[in-house]
Amino acid sequence: MPPMDSTNELTFSSADAALSAKPSEIEREVLGLFEQYRNPLLRYGLSFGISAHDAEEVVQEVFLSLFRHLQLRRSRKNLRGWIFRVTHNLALKQRHANQKSLNRMAADGAVAEEQFDPSPNAEEQLSSEQGRKRLLAVVQALPETDQDCLRLRAEGLRYREIAEVLGISLGAVSISLTRSLARLMRAEGR
Amino acid sequence: MLGEDQQLSEMHLSDEELLLAADGELVTGRTAQVQAHLAACWDCRARMAEIESTIAEFVRAHRRTLDPQLPPIEGPRAQLRAELAQLSSQRETGSWRGWCQLPAARAAAVVLLICCLAVGAGWFFGPPHKLRESFYEAWHDGWSGASSGNLASEQGAIPNRSLTPGATRSVSIGEVCSMAHEEVVGEVSTSLRQEVFREYGIRNPRADDYEIDYLIAPGLGGTEDIRNLWPEPYQSRTWNAHVKDALEERLHEMVCAGNLDLSAAQRDIAVDWIAAYKKYFHTAEPLSVRSDLMQPDLMRRAQR
Repeated sequence: MPPMDSTNELTFSSADAALSAKPSEIEREVLGLFEQYRNPLLRYGLSFGISAHDAEEVVQEVFLSLFRHLQLRRSRKNLRGWIFRVTHNLALKQRHANQKSLNRMAADGAVAEEQFDPSPNAEEQLSSEQGRKRLLAVVQALPETDQDCLRLRAEGLRYREIAEVLGISLGAVSISLTRSLARLMRAEGR
Repeated sequence: MLGEDQQLSEMHLSDEELLLAADGELVTGRTAQVQAHLAACWDCRARMAEIESTIAEFVRAHRRTLDPQLPPIEGPRAQLRAELAQLSSQRETGSWRGWCQLPAARAAAVVLLICCLAVGAGWFFGPPHKLRESFYEAWHDGWSGASSGNLASEQGAIPNRSLTPGATRSVSIGEVCSMAHEEVVGEVSTSLRQEVFREYGIRNPRADDYEIDYLIAPGLGGTEDIRNLWPEPYQSRTWNAHVKDALEERLHEMVCAGNLDLSAAQRDIAVDWIAAYKKYFHTAEPLSVRSDLMQPDLMRRAQR
């Protein structure tokens, strides 16, 4: 940093703000959507078994694509579905590029080993962790489309949006979710 | 005889319908019947509760597994902001957007035309950095030389543009901003330093007279290329190497904070770094260099 006294520091900060070009309306919109959907998209990306770094790169690329999409005045219909669909495609591509295992169990299993929420009651903690692992094991044994449906629904997507992201019918989404929940309930003895 | 509506409302609901109801995805007209049945049927309400409970368990497991892996948002947000600003500025100069909008056939025709013109000008088969170099030369050519003011008293502070037009590599904002300090500072090899001195006709340079400096710093995407290096006077001058170092750090910070487009930083420092200093520090004269910044371990690229 250059030498400066406190007066200069203040002067420079406000000058920086003036110097920097004001973000365009589209930039602001894209940044707003990034704030809203970055974490859900990262979770969805991670569920493909790619690393956090790769998932972050995917999400960055998604929002740059969104910027271009909006700049070219393309359809604004169902932007959330569009964002998730591009994430889905890029994450698949990344996974393929990485030549990683298609088995998501490995990635999630490793995390399950690492992440242990501290709780005052050791027995409850153990039981909770076992339950979580059991549940995840059931999910990971589901067909890939069923897993995707569950995860997209968990991120708040409506059936119509899920259908668009995965390229399946509305009825198929409903059947997939019902089938998955039935398996999860059976695993829990319900 | 029961009416059709009554029959429908008395039949137990399937899991699929219960889930559709829970998700608010029932078709219009069926919602009221399902609600009426649920109000009357404990079995279906109990099943609905199990479904809801399973959903809650899944969401909890999903979040607890993945959330700890999510890095903080601040860095990625700054990176995206900077990339968007860069894309916007490119668009303003009419580069990529125009291309994207071109139909494929027209785009191909334009590419062909440009290639033909480039080959005709003996331009296309030059060294890889030639295009970029020409670009910087064009900047220099557009510069009147008067922008820095007292150039006569600052001979050597601005490089000879024909020898040092500036050279950069293709680099992303993320790469620039994640560079290790050593990479940002950049060390010039002894042989290259000697070559630069020879190029500028400086024989037996004194140890504390010059720094072989990057015109465009590595931290701003500049390369270790003789076209990007020149002997910058160190001592007894107003606009010396220490002052330029301060400018480079300032531009790097601004680029990484998303407050300045990387290409604008490269252009400004390559065209006239003194004018850039005045512009970005808002001063006609260099600010005094703090004594702690003059310590050898913090001195950037001090060449002896």
